[in-house]
Amino acid sequence: MKKTLPKYYPLIPVFAAYLIMFLIGFFVPGMWQMVALLAFYCALGQSWNIFMGMTGYVDFGYVTFIALGTYGMSLGITYCSQYEWLGIGIIVIGFILAMFLASLSALLEAFIALRLRGAYFAIACIGINEGLRYFIEGAKIWGGSEGLIYFGALVQALGRDTVNQLTSFWADFSVFIIAALAAFLNMHYMRSKIGYALTAVREDEDAAKVMGINANKYKTIAFLTSGWLGAGVGAMAWGLKLGYVYPGDVFVIHYTVECIVVVLLGGAGTLLGPVVGGLIYGLSKYWLAVIMPGFQLLIFAPIIIIIIVAAPEGVVGLLKRRLKGTRLEMFIE
Amino acid sequence: MKRSYLTITIFIVVFGFLFATNAFAAPKKLVIGHPACLSGKYAKAGEQAIGGIKACIDWVNNVYGGVLVAGKRIPLEYKYYDCESKKEGVTSLIERLITVNKVNVVFSAYSSGLTLAGAPVAERYSMVYMDHGGASDRIFQQGFKYIVQTIGPGSKYHVGTLDMIKYFDPKAKKVALAYEDSEFARMTMGGAEKHAKKLGCKIVFKRTYPKGVTDLTPLLSDMKARKPEIVVGGGHYEDGQLFARQMSDLDINVKAVSLVASATLPAYYKALGGRIAEGVMGPSHWEYGVTFSPKGAKKVGLDWIGPGQDEFVSLFKKALGKDIIPDYHAAEAGAQVLAYVKAVENMNSVDQDKVRAALGKLKFMSFYGGWDVDDTTGMQIGHSMVDMQWQDGKRVIVWPLEAATGKLIYPKPKF
Amino acid sequence: MKIFVRGGDFIYKGNTQETLSESLSEVFSNRVKEEKMILTLLAGNLIHGLLLGGVYGLATMGLSLIFGVINVVNVGHGQFIMVGAFVALTMFTVLGLSPVIAIPAALIIGMALGFFFFYTVMRRLIRAPELTSLLATFAMGILLEEIAKLIFGADFRGYYWAVGKITLPITTIPMSKLYAFIGSIAIALFLYLWFSKTRIGTAIRSVMEDSEGARVCGVNVSWIHALSFAIGIGLTVMSGVLLTMFIPVGINPYMGGGYTLKAFVIAVLGGLTSPYGAFFAGLIFGLIENGAYTLFALIPGVAPFPLTVSLAFWMLFFLLLVKPTGLLGK
Repeated sequence: MKKTLPKYYPLIPVFAAYLIMFLIGFFVPGMWQMVALLAFYCALGQSWNIFMGMTGYVDFGYVTFIALGTYGMSLGITYCSQYEWLGIGIIVIGFILAMFLASLSALLEAFIALRLRGAYFAIACIGINEGLRYFIEGAKIWGGSEGLIYFGALVQALGRDTVNQLTSFWADFSVFIIAALAAFLNMHYMRSKIGYALTAVREDEDAAKVMGINANKYKTIAFLTSGWLGAGVGAMAWGLKLGYVYPGDVFVIHYTVECIVVVLLGGAGTLLGPVVGGLIYGLSKYWLAVIMPGFQLLIFAPIIIIIIVAAPEGVVGLLKRRLKGTRLEMFIE
Repeated sequence: MKRSYLTITIFIVVFGFLFATNAFAAPKKLVIGHPACLSGKYAKAGEQAIGGIKACIDWVNNVYGGVLVAGKRIPLEYKYYDCESKKEGVTSLIERLITVNKVNVVFSAYSSGLTLAGAPVAERYSMVYMDHGGASDRIFQQGFKYIVQTIGPGSKYHVGTLDMIKYFDPKAKKVALAYEDSEFARMTMGGAEKHAKKLGCKIVFKRTYPKGVTDLTPLLSDMKARKPEIVVGGGHYEDGQLFARQMSDLDINVKAVSLVASATLPAYYKALGGRIAEGVMGPSHWEYGVTFSPKGAKKVGLDWIGPGQDEFVSLFKKALGKDIIPDYHAAEAGAQVLAYVKAVENMNSVDQDKVRAALGKLKFMSFYGGWDVDDTTGMQIGHSMVDMQWQDGKRVIVWPLEAATGKLIYPKPKF
Repeated sequence: MKIFVRGGDFIYKGNTQETLSESLSEVFSNRVKEEKMILTLLAGNLIHGLLLGGVYGLATMGLSLIFGVINVVNVGHGQFIMVGAFVALTMFTVLGLSPVIAIPAALIIGMALGFFFFYTVMRRLIRAPELTSLLATFAMGILLEEIAKLIFGADFRGYYWAVGKITLPITTIPMSKLYAFIGSIAIALFLYLWFSKTRIGTAIRSVMEDSEGARVCGVNVSWIHALSFAIGIGLTVMSGVLLTMFIPVGINPYMGGGYTLKAFVIAVLGGLTSPYGAFFAGLIFGLIENGAYTLFALIPGVAPFPLTVSLAFWMLFFLLLVKPTGLLGK
């Protein structure tokens, strides 16, 4: 037991950050939605990081998972809310659907990853995302471009007070949970067989194969995990919280770019990186929007450029280098 | 375990109540909160809305003398943030407005999607949520208690247009519908299709095109082959420009073209380089030049409040510090301020539930026209639309006849 | 009795043989008419698609060049197109100059922007992890959008360059579209010659092939990096002008986003590091985008426009699976 403990030390600052965010949100009035926004960015960054950090694949179509997660939840609620006896079960059904859809697309992407690398893989994933979005709109499935609006259905099935609770507290709370889970899984994978196997594959795939490492199996696991987490965030932060979904609102590559920005600001491939990046990104955007509405992006863009020029490996990357050899080293990963 | 859930739940409820009750205390000022769209895809409409709101607040505070509550005149204040036209921004900013800034009413962000995104938060804090940019009828089928609409429902937009064309040319039969695939434009299309069929027209072409489209050539070529006489369509400003421009490129000459939410804007003519816009029509909630006046209000037995049209325009220009003419986005946002003031005065209270009830019963007229919402759903039913046409670079109101400032040019000049 | 004819079914109500054959022949003549109409439409749309494809191709060459030489994914690509659109708009509306003159002006402005961004930001990031430069281009894109909003406002604008149109039996083509197409072909051709015949063009190609090898052979690699980045941005800004000749409306600070995505797809279709491949891929993309519409419009109950876009993306996807390095990739 004692031997296994130290390897999870780097989780301490991550969980501490989430806990502080949660407490601020819970006890300081007017802060809850804001910390929920931060948790949203952190969770996305964290889940994207699993994918990219472990397999080395840059997934530009990552938003597909989030979007499918949202659709899973939406479909669950829309089609099951008529069965009254299901009660809160419709959300469970929605969540399961979200996971199912995400698994399908994760398997598809894993299949592509067998054939394509680098930018080609990234663009093929964009292809899936856009192809799916326009297919939904064009073939008019799942409500087509009219989307699904189901807040009313939710109110009817569960009652107004429960729904208010669900949408403005529990949905955000589960994003926290997912963010923490993502951090834990990231850490766990890094320190277990799968992490070593994937590192070997990333360094030299052929050599790893000769050593008898089943690269495809481990890649698929990483893809699935990352996809599930993304779908979970989508299902909660968009599906349950907002009560509506339009294909043009969720299959948006811009969110993938935001994921990447969050991760890179903090430091790619690090555990703490997405949290720091999410905090920098979310906080600066929010406060600038509050202080000088209309001009926030004008200030925000140079801030990103300055950070990236000053610390090309991300803030945590810089920190890691500075703290090398000190006692704090073991907390930063 | 269950107990801790319960405690948290109670906590939330208590917190909610605390903030809700804070708002009841005797006010020194009334604050309007608004997660505006100052950047991002709706930046244009967002700027207009801010100008309209500021203009009407200016009028209420300086001309009207403040809102009369409990025998005292209290001023209005305006607090806005920028949501970047994104759904993530809307929720957190609305909560901040309600809890930190302690606003008395929240105005929605532009578009149906963003209005929907903010509704659950406003609902949770039992805050009156006024919608001046979400035209979808479906928003009002979700059982939100505190939402009230100022903009008219999308389904009515082209009804008057078709009536007008039938009035001037009863023989016109072949109608083409080509709308943007957005919540609002689909509503318009549904309404137009139903009404055209009722009038005995034949729908020869019916298609939608996606948001953000940059080339309509294939769709318009297809439409040209069906030889329509009347073309109704559109969706937003940018595709409305593209629509007329590419109709001209492909030489599609028809008797009448009416585009929603674009042809009516003052900059439309210039953006198309003039000639192409000649004769293009558009339905509108409000247009510079409509003649609603206190006199007219008296005639139909409605209360009048707010600045006259010219006064509104000059206040609007002052508020934005730019020499631009307000469009309907500004007018509906401005009228919303007046509706709120009226509701508060009628109830003599700023209590959220009372104000919401008052808004449901409220009927009045302003420079924007009539205002009356459905009591339970909050949907706008009292506002009627006008139709305008570009004639010699000027916007002329051509329908309804009693509001018209000029005669319809029919058939429209060739592109 | 029901006679099934494409384009809707026809229900026959008469009872004598004569009327049946009469209505049948009517139906068939209708059907022939319909088929002819569809073919005409298809031909017309393919012409428009080809013209549009030329502009798409040019708009993507800059992206491919930058990726090929300095390995930077420019996610702010569309925003540079937006800059070009505003250059054309300002020159036309304020100075009264035709967009043809705006083309070289845009190249100069674009290259200046390119050099500026390269020496202030990108130069420091060339050795950084691959994705870091992506973050910088993302921020650059936002910055350009916001500066454009500050200067021009969020309004959607357009201009009208009256140069007439040609009416063909199948479709009508505005001259400005034709000029834009000829312009992009000419620029692409010029670039090709410049790359293959001049010293500096050869140097750029050598850096693209093998940066270290080029350095050994005495090529000033860092200057080539700066130059290619500037040319890439210059080309992109220039293509913005051509794009407004094609679609002269809807010019606003946020117009670029959609073009970034299209350019990505076209670039990959063309093999990513090959600017010419990108040009041909652009032509193909334009043809698919316009041609498929007519065919999808025949299926009842669907929205053909999104399906067309969907098809373009799925095609890209399957093409990549079959030929993982794009059409003209190695």
